[in-house]
Amino acid sequence: MSPLSGIRIIDLSMGWAGPLACRHLADLGAEVIKVESCIRFDWWRSWEATPEWIDQDGAEKSTSFNMVNRNKRAITLELDQADGRALLLRLVSHANAVVENFSGGVLKKLGLEYETLRAHNEQIVLLSMPPFGASGPWADFRAYGSTVEHASGLPHLNGQPEDLPVMQHVALGDPVGGIAGAQALLTALRHQRRTEQGQQIDLSQTEALFPLASHGILEFSATGREPDRGRDRPNTSIHQGVYPCQGHDEWLVIEITRPTEWLTFVETLNLPSHLSQPDTGPHHPDLRTYIADRTTLESAASLMETLQRQGIAAARTFSYSDLLTDPHLAARDFWQWKDRAVVGRQPNPSAPYRFGAAPIPVNTPAPTLGEHNAEVLGGLLGLSADELSDLNARGIIGSRPRLR
Amino acid sequence: MIPVMSKPDPGQALNGIRIVDLSGTVASAYCGKCFADYGAEVIDLEPDTGFSTRQLPPFTRFGDPPLSAMHAYLSTNKHSVLKEELTETALATLIDRADLVLTHDPNQVPAHVSTLSIDWFGPGPYADHAATDATLFAMNGMLKKIGPAEGPPYLPTGYQAQFVGGATAYLPALAHILGCEMGNETRGTRLNTSIFEAMLCFTEPAAVGFFNSGLDMDRMGINRFPPTYPLGVFPCADGWLGVTVLTPSQWHSFCHLLDMEEWADVPLFQSSVGRLEASDLIEPRIREALATLSAEALFYKAQAARVPLARVPTMGELFEIDQFKSRSAFAHATFDQSSIKVPSMPFRLLRTPPHFGGPVPRLGEHTEQYQ
Repeated sequence: MSPLSGIRIIDLSMGWAGPLACRHLADLGAEVIKVESCIRFDWWRSWEATPEWIDQDGAEKSTSFNMVNRNKRAITLELDQADGRALLLRLVSHANAVVENFSGGVLKKLGLEYETLRAHNEQIVLLSMPPFGASGPWADFRAYGSTVEHASGLPHLNGQPEDLPVMQHVALGDPVGGIAGAQALLTALRHQRRTEQGQQIDLSQTEALFPLASHGILEFSATGREPDRGRDRPNTSIHQGVYPCQGHDEWLVIEITRPTEWLTFVETLNLPSHLSQPDTGPHHPDLRTYIADRTTLESAASLMETLQRQGIAAARTFSYSDLLTDPHLAARDFWQWKDRAVVGRQPNPSAPYRFGAAPIPVNTPAPTLGEHNAEVLGGLLGLSADELSDLNARGIIGSRPRLR
Repeated sequence: MIPVMSKPDPGQALNGIRIVDLSGTVASAYCGKCFADYGAEVIDLEPDTGFSTRQLPPFTRFGDPPLSAMHAYLSTNKHSVLKEELTETALATLIDRADLVLTHDPNQVPAHVSTLSIDWFGPGPYADHAATDATLFAMNGMLKKIGPAEGPPYLPTGYQAQFVGGATAYLPALAHILGCEMGNETRGTRLNTSIFEAMLCFTEPAAVGFFNSGLDMDRMGINRFPPTYPLGVFPCADGWLGVTVLTPSQWHSFCHLLDMEEWADVPLFQSSVGRLEASDLIEPRIREALATLSAEALFYKAQAARVPLARVPTMGELFEIDQFKSRSAFAHATFDQSSIKVPSMPFRLLRTPPHFGGPVPRLGEHTEQYQ
């Protein structure tokens, strides 16, 4: 038994944010049915299809797609065909929630707006998660996860004064929007459970980034001043820095959070003794040079260990390969290795929360396109084998991408 | 556009849920805030000196001592109770009736009461490691990609890791409470969330991608995140413009908007990778073109052409943008007779909306209520 056993979600979303929201619900025990089109399939499989790509099973080789869709079942339905749409509405009548992140207007064009879903299931929850929210003058505007980071203002809080505003990620808005989406779904599902009422949820991915920028937003709100980009801005710490270490592009982040740690820090790194006063040492004009002169002599890993042994927050900059071999993550069985059709053995990241010592299991790897057509449409909706093969023949369902 | 329901039902989605916070970190406070803003009863069980979030900058100009704006944001619609002033019975009753207690020390909570620990790392080899929001950006693999190519990398500012951890921790917390109501879960469960693992949400696709491709590129410079190009933040005549151009049709429209038509059909420039290879040629031209144009005007023109450009607003500009104003994206957190604007909940249940802003409790304001 899992926390959300008995809850069924229809996942129409694509890319990263929506599927991540649904992945959380799936990990927590909800039955998530991912619905794709063989023509307009999840764009995280690929932006475009070619005959060669289809022949070589390209749709099944996207590591990003596979990473974010585990523990789900997948069907295909052409929603712009009357029969495809009708089948989706039948599924909706058996579901607790529908999740979508189409561009503005698409749901309406498909005739699948909230009022229609509600007519088939009064209790249905519909989560829409557009970049700027579903209301307001920008409701139909487009964005990637990078655009969402732009619009949140967050880049103004990073970097040096002489720099442009500094971005943090290629698609910062997506994973944060995904977490907010999962929060939203759970909140509405709790209300549904208690009152048997459904509702729409309007999630703005840009507003989901505001908490991450809140230190700057609140500074303006409280003082009327724009925060200065470029000051070293440790939250409450007395020192924070990124220092070079032995090797190519190896760095150590050090943060001294309390004055009581200062002397230990100075002694541990053998810094000059005139730096040892906690009230003056952190402000010495040459402090950063002294520290860097010391850190360049040693590996980041060993410095991290030495400082951590003294209780000082120090971390080396991990590469992607480090994440796969990190001893903490390994000891926690964070990466769950599963065989997946076409691509073979793959690492799956565990949910970042646990209900005991063990991680929540990845029971099934990401489904292949339309893998569960028969199981879901035959099982849940009771379609016969003849009906399924008719749908297949007419291209309403399928298990291979088709060119537009 | 989704119509807003004109008559929301009385009651909020999380009415009847009771959360007690003993941790008082930014992470636990944000987790609790999401509950409180949706109608749960959230009780900050504070020491005499108050939670450490009360000491976090930035500070408002009101209250004595001045109220932390960060604490105000994190504490709307919560109750503050002084732990030391509660009688033993009152304290035991309060804990006993909680659906969930947020704590770093679950052993202090009776076995039949569910707890949630939001730790930097969780049990394991790093369990006792010291960490901060900044060090977790080093450890989740993001920092190596941020900043100038020659280094050092630039640390993202603020409490970002804790906000990600707090939002993430809401998921097992509410799933557990809902699971108990559905008969799927039993009280007395020990939940935990690792902020380190929550922060891997940003880099898990890249890590899995690395497993398959062996590819991990060196940092290329500020706002360079291959293979997307052009990508970045550019100065315009009236402010900053965020640019992301990915598909051939977006490139076409972008060239048209910037009056660089002669590059629209160059075969190499039809792919993001090709444009990135030629970025030394393209970048100065984009910069020159944008310097004289209006970011505001370009944003609307680009969106009309389905190109995802956006203004990159300063903090002050955020409060003036129509889109955010029309959605009440910022609302007043009130304290005594004063108030400060804080971000609203990013997700809106239309039938049972969240509180927008709300009262911030004084230290111990609700102690009597729980005696």
